[in-house]
Amino acid sequence: MEILIVLLPLALGLGASFLGFFLWSVKKGQYDDVETPKYRMLLEDTKVDMKKRKET
Amino acid sequence: MFQCVHCDEQALSPIFLPQDSERKLPFCCQGCLTVYEVLKEKSLSSYYDIKKSSAIFRRRSPVETSRNQYTFLDDKKFLHDHIYRNPDNFPVMDFYLEGIHCLACLWLIEKLPEFLPGVCHAKLDLDKSVVSVTIFPEGKFSLVARELDRLGYRPHALDRNEDAKRLRENEERSYLMRLGVAGAAAGNIMIYSFSLYAGASLETAKIFHVLTVILALPVFTYSAFPFYQSAWTSLKNRMVSIDIPISMALIMGAIMGVRGLLLNFEENYFDSLTALVFLLLLSRYFLRKIQDKGLSVRDMHYFYQNESVLRKTPSGFEEVHTSYVKPGDIIKVRSDEFIPADGIVIEGDSLINNSLLTGESLPDHVKKGHRVFSGTQNLGSDLLVTVEKTSRETRLGQILRHVEQGWSMRSRTVDLTSIVARYFTLSVILLSGIVFLMVLNESGAEAGLTRALTLLIVTCPCALAISVPLTFHRSLSLAAKNGIIVKSDEVFEKLSKSFKVFFDKTGTVTLGQLEVKEVRILQPLLVNASDVIFTLEQRSRHPVGKALLDFAKRSGGQALDVTDLRETPGVGVEGAIKGIHYSINGGMIFENESKVASFCVKDGLRNDSASVISRLNKMGIETSVLSGDRADVVLLISQEVGIPVERSYFSMTPESKLEILRNSPQSVMVGDGANDAMAMECASVGIAVSGAMDISLRAADVYLTIPGLAGVEKLFILSKETMKVVRRNLVLSLTYNSVSVALVFTGHISPLAAAIVMPVSSLTVLASTLAGTKKMRTLWRS
Repeated sequence: MEILIVLLPLALGLGASFLGFFLWSVKKGQYDDVETPKYRMLLEDTKVDMKKRKET
Repeated sequence: MFQCVHCDEQALSPIFLPQDSERKLPFCCQGCLTVYEVLKEKSLSSYYDIKKSSAIFRRRSPVETSRNQYTFLDDKKFLHDHIYRNPDNFPVMDFYLEGIHCLACLWLIEKLPEFLPGVCHAKLDLDKSVVSVTIFPEGKFSLVARELDRLGYRPHALDRNEDAKRLRENEERSYLMRLGVAGAAAGNIMIYSFSLYAGASLETAKIFHVLTVILALPVFTYSAFPFYQSAWTSLKNRMVSIDIPISMALIMGAIMGVRGLLLNFEENYFDSLTALVFLLLLSRYFLRKIQDKGLSVRDMHYFYQNESVLRKTPSGFEEVHTSYVKPGDIIKVRSDEFIPADGIVIEGDSLINNSLLTGESLPDHVKKGHRVFSGTQNLGSDLLVTVEKTSRETRLGQILRHVEQGWSMRSRTVDLTSIVARYFTLSVILLSGIVFLMVLNESGAEAGLTRALTLLIVTCPCALAISVPLTFHRSLSLAAKNGIIVKSDEVFEKLSKSFKVFFDKTGTVTLGQLEVKEVRILQPLLVNASDVIFTLEQRSRHPVGKALLDFAKRSGGQALDVTDLRETPGVGVEGAIKGIHYSINGGMIFENESKVASFCVKDGLRNDSASVISRLNKMGIETSVLSGDRADVVLLISQEVGIPVERSYFSMTPESKLEILRNSPQSVMVGDGANDAMAMECASVGIAVSGAMDISLRAADVYLTIPGLAGVEKLFILSKETMKVVRRNLVLSLTYNSVSVALVFTGHISPLAAAIVMPVSSLTVLASTLAGTKKMRTLWRS
């Protein structure tokens, strides 16, 4: 059971770092709008057709 | 049935582009068609490709564009109140946009910087329909607003009010952080508890035990803080709330756990207690999110019909925001615009639509010297008005004051869940006291406390605290998806108990617009009648003229050469076509002074009025009409929709409407105008239909954003089904609780077993919530 001395701090440290990351991202406003970004990424490739615009 | 290319609404009499000879692209209205052309001209047609391939986010109504120039947005004072700065010190303004409904809208709005010079960045929040536009210092917000308007999204600038915004943002974020801490701790504690249950021994067990206590501490102090706070508030106000037993269980559990650690007592129930905190926070977080959405819509200035007005200055007219108009100002009200203040006409000759203020369907004729009121609409030509009273002093403002007073005095109804919660809480506290005393006599304080804690955990009010909010959450979002904005979850219970609905007539059951159904030919005309009407009325501003023009368009009329075209205000139009003299006046068409045709104008029914009313009747709901209009008009309409004469009320003032609602408790008022506002406020549930005035939106509990009455019926069904689920969940959880209380009393259940059974019961209740009912599922799909 000596392995616990290594594993426990490791597990707790991992957990704490993820929690810290979550709290940081909340503070940065990452969760203020959870609806739009998931759609926004679908549209990134659709560009306004600038060439066509210049012709008209 | 045609579906509008732009807004996806069904179009009964679609219109087509002139070059679209195969009639492939139907539009429901001119507004949608114009936007289509604008998009095409700007090479933004990808909008339609994206729309086709993406899911519709929510329904939208047909496009209405305005002629506002939005120059008031560049006013220094206005800018000061409405902009904030981004990190590069560029100005940013937030707009609420009408008509945001799908992915393509998101695409189009966020491409603004690419096709509109001067715009630096645009970011849309789909949930709230709010776009934040950043412009370069040399750019102008009026240009942005005009462009948005042209694209069919009418913009409403939002007040900056940074403090309130930041406060709410911080509150929301801290709630989310509490949730995160509780989730992380509960998860980790579960791992250690698992090995404890599995039989971890001696040294290891001790380490794990200490760890659970350390991990649980932030949950009991930081995460659970909102529960203690609300329990304390309700104690201070001598009220019973569900947070009291929750707080009791948490505090007692925490104390016993720490004490167990100090005395080397092996067991604590931190795994179930922290999981409980996490689940409760989670369900409340969801409910909060959906309620916030309702609240932001409640800021009614989003829906102001008309935000700017032309004010006379020495050098001409300037566009100002309506809130900056003062008594003594001279304003110009263009056709179709709403009059923003009470005043006297000093120039012009026009027709005024009073229907929102009084309920009359036929317009009033006004000229110099006549008084006009705030909230009425100018239908004819431009009017110059000297402002006498503004905002609060106007007739509209007085009604508004009444409505606001009513709202503030309105008591929160005692709903089913709070009654159950009260008895539940009291009996849980009482029972745990009894259990403690009982066991205390037999085997001491230690065992007594354990037993009492078991009871508190086992009776954890999951159904009340989690499933009821979740049920409402689900119904609220279901309603929102169908274009029904519900201000509070109380509406569902109230509606499920209501069996009487009062409808306003003008603008609610009817369209609130004049319509010509048929033109009866008395004598054959030398020229096609529709062509004559089209030609003579093509530039008419008179509502009857417009109705006639619509009729002519529908029956394929075309413009012919005309000479001596003349419109006499208040009388009619005349002109010569192919040398023959034609005139239209007084409901007749004359050819060389002899009567050749007659027509009848009336306020047309909404497409779905009759069918919705008959279906409501079938559901056992009594329907009535309350109108400020004349008897003959009201009776005709109520006959058409199938409401008996004895339940058709006519010539009602706002006060008499209020009186009727006051005398019929548990009834629903559906309306659109200022004359309905007081009645809507007094009603058990007030429903404002699409196109309603902002004042009735303020008075209402529900706002239908989709034209028509279908939402009323949907909401009735939804409410009944929601309450069914709520009751089912209450029964489920109370049954479970009584059984487990019995087990605790007889000593057949340990805290460990309770901690295992509790999540299982929560899951059943949760499953019942998510399953909803069959009718709800079909409503969800449609």
